Amino acid sequence: MEIVRIREPHEFPPEDQAFMEATKSWFKIDFVPKMSRVLLTIPEFGRAYGRSSRRAMADGALTRAQKELIATMVSAINACEY
Amino acid sequence: MAGVTHGLNAVADGVRLPLDFSPSTRVPLLPLVEPSAATPEVGSVFGEICDFYAVGAPPSVFRYMARDPGFLRSYWAATREAFADRKLDRRTKELLALAASLTAKSDYGVDLHLREVRRLGMSDQGVTEAIEVVQCFNTVTKIADALQLRPDFDPSAGD
Repeated sequence: MEIVRIREPHEFPPEDQAFMEATKSWFKIDFVPKMSRVLLTIPEFGRAYGRSSRRAMADGALTRAQKELIATMVSAINACEY
Repeated sequence: MAGVTHGLNAVADGVRLPLDFSPSTRVPLLPLVEPSAATPEVGSVFGEICDFYAVGAPPSVFRYMARDPGFLRSYWAATREAFADRKLDRRTKELLALAASLTAKSDYGVDLHLREVRRLGMSDQGVTEAIEVVQCFNTVTKIADALQLRPDFDPSAGD
């Protein structure tokens, strides 16, 4: 189980709601992943990290699908259950 | 492909094999087989390896494995098949092997697979983008592990 309590989406202030909505639309999911809520612990960090991550994952010389494969490889090698 | 990459890297870094495509001061802990001293059986496998990587001498990890010719022959066959063009093409697989090597902090694997993705035509921009993805996901996997996050999609996770 998590070693910190992760706030529910409704517990975040209005200025963080846009970040969480952007996450949902980016992944085409109807819930806010725990990681997004963790990153918003320090919003100045989370928003900047989110921008770098979306930039890194966007279609470019590599497709988003290729990038998701790479991301899966990183998670597998790190044996990251999350 | 991730499996053989990890296997080759573990041996190459563990036995401190010299990097193949970058200046390297590493001194192997155990002797490698010199191509000029290879038996005909090993020489034939070395030939396949040189063709596969477009090199004049086999990468040092295979020269190490040639200490046991039977093992070299079968592990090389498995490696070649793992990296063959199938639903994923070889270049994409080399890119994934680069990501795996960076993540596992394998100097040997980064050297080999960076050279391969470039040789197979990946642009500098493509390499940069791939490494950015590796960096971002190493960031979040570390955070997730440190906080012991349960998967979002695990029905037993609860809240």
